[in-house]
Amino acid sequence: MMSSRELILRRLKSHPAGSLPGPVERRAMVPEPADLCAAFVEQAQKLSCIVHRCEDAVDTLDRLLSIIGEDRRILSWDPHCIPLAGLADVLREAGIEIAPSHDASVRVGVTGVDAAVAGTGSLILASGPGKARLVSLLPFVHVAVVTEDQLVPNFEAWAARQRAAGLAGFRQASHTTVISGPSRTADIAMELVLGAHGPAEVQLLLCVAGA
Amino acid sequence: MTPTPNAFHHAARRALHDPALTAAVANATNTAAYKRRLALFAFGHEHGEAMRQQAAEARRRTLARLPQLLEQAEAQMQANGIHVLWAQDSAEVREQVIRIARQHGVRRIAKSKSMVSEEVELNHALEADGFEVLETDLGEFIIQLAGEPPSHIVTPVIHKSKEMIRDLFVERLAMPPTDDATEMTRFAREHLRKGFLAADMGISGGNFIVAETGTLCLVTNEGNGRMVTSLPPLHVALVGIEKIVETLDDYVTLTQVLSRSATGQAMSVYSHMINGPRRPDEQNGPDHVYVILVDNGRSRIYNSSYAEVLTCIRCGSCLNICPVYEAVGGHSYGWVYPGPIGAVITPLLLGLDRATPLPYASSLCGACKEVCPVDIDLPRMLLDLRHELVQQKKQPLLWRAGLRGWALMARSPRLFGLVARLGALGSRLLPKRRKLPIGPLGAWTQSRAVPDLAPQSFHQWWASRTKEGE
Repeated sequence: MMSSRELILRRLKSHPAGSLPGPVERRAMVPEPADLCAAFVEQAQKLSCIVHRCEDAVDTLDRLLSIIGEDRRILSWDPHCIPLAGLADVLREAGIEIAPSHDASVRVGVTGVDAAVAGTGSLILASGPGKARLVSLLPFVHVAVVTEDQLVPNFEAWAARQRAAGLAGFRQASHTTVISGPSRTADIAMELVLGAHGPAEVQLLLCVAGA
Repeated sequence: MTPTPNAFHHAARRALHDPALTAAVANATNTAAYKRRLALFAFGHEHGEAMRQQAAEARRRTLARLPQLLEQAEAQMQANGIHVLWAQDSAEVREQVIRIARQHGVRRIAKSKSMVSEEVELNHALEADGFEVLETDLGEFIIQLAGEPPSHIVTPVIHKSKEMIRDLFVERLAMPPTDDATEMTRFAREHLRKGFLAADMGISGGNFIVAETGTLCLVTNEGNGRMVTSLPPLHVALVGIEKIVETLDDYVTLTQVLSRSATGQAMSVYSHMINGPRRPDEQNGPDHVYVILVDNGRSRIYNSSYAEVLTCIRCGSCLNICPVYEAVGGHSYGWVYPGPIGAVITPLLLGLDRATPLPYASSLCGACKEVCPVDIDLPRMLLDLRHELVQQKKQPLLWRAGLRGWALMARSPRLFGLVARLGALGSRLLPKRRKLPIGPLGAWTQSRAVPDLAPQSFHQWWASRTKEGE
């Protein structure tokens, strides 16, 4: 007996081969911004993200600690995966413990990013060792450390980079997510509410590369 | 849900007399259509039209090579560690999901939004087999509580007011009474969070599958799509066989056109790309990922003159712009897919017999084609379906006799003149309120006034004028 797979494919292949549609000039959905940094800040704020432009590592760490506040348990990527010098030490000194990534009772989650999209204010996070995917999902507050050299003009540019790198790296991550602002819903009478299932607050610590 | 598209006229009439419903639907669709326009044409009209064209080209290129791309997608997904299954019809989808669930000892299931799962009536079958099923999209959760089907493919609960949802939550979940949408959402968040954490299996749909990389792509705003594909140890995705795209670049194009068209966002909050189960060195994610490629009538459409409808990306733009949808709401269409896209694919998926009124549920104004991000010619298809109905003699006898009579009359100038004179005479004898009390014409005048016919027809006037000129 023929399997469903064979039956479906046979039916599809019985279609008379038509001509392929002609090529269309491709253009990016979002034109390349002149100033990536300024565009990223503007777009992220439009998405209701809170953006901190940090001067150096010390400033970044200060702002991070003030967001964490009194909490002594956070979710976090492995500090080595976050481009913020001294992060592990500062957390240890402050007595802040990193909880297992599936702990849904924790309020703040700290991550880095793999890229950030200037034209849409989006963050791109790929899962991997030390980069647990739940950190940017379960907590009420998501803090992401972004360095300026991680900015790409638009989503198309990110895809072009994956292709240039051979796509194997992209496929190795089981989960790559593009995050554009806090989780939201408008299912109740079209009223916008932030924080449907994921974070209600996204705080971005934007730093100069190598700080 | 039992399909009831043949009851369209009855359901639509009821909807038209429900002012709360029509107000809620009009508010939602007008807002969505306005936001779409702002987002799609954010960089000018020409740019927006070019994005539509690019999206249409990507989808049509896929369609031209669909079987080859499906084989490629299957091979690449398998290389990524995803189990790929194929299902010909609803029953086979249900069997496969239940088999997987049993095999992994599942009891509780958390679901994110999937129109295919509605199409194959999955929840009912799972519950009948003793599984607990929780819809986690806020809108889907609300209608699951209310025991209703969705009324829109993107925002399933637009037919309900805030007060109706409040009462439902108070009654069914003992929510402390509140009229604040944020508080209601927080309450649902807490409730559903427990469901995510307890689930043994996550079920999702799929917006796209990238053939070249074997990537399953999901778009959500709430984050429930990420939850059901990240927390439970098992993830099953139901995806129509038409959802394949050729390259990662095509996905990048289409996901952005989808977000702009569906909700007026440049990007939905979460566009995520799944390349398989948790890797050995990763902390989170399911150990098993299954993708079920669902035919359920699609290969039949592929071999018909309606194949282009398979390029649909389910953005809902045609619902939001349609004057008929706005007036009658989604439930009137009687099945999973309402609006202009539903008026075309419902008869194609269920059979024309089971949805004869739907090709007529349109004014043929053409707005649906104009807003379609992939430029599907829905008005042409609606006309073709009507043509099929006429050819198959599916219309009521009286309707057909009437049209035949009209055709006869319109072909003979002499007969036309005679009927016009009789009509002019008859219209003078009509009652003042201009409603005909009985018969088929009575039905016709329920929502129309009979027009006054001119005492003299053009032909009569022309004849008399020529005579005078002699």
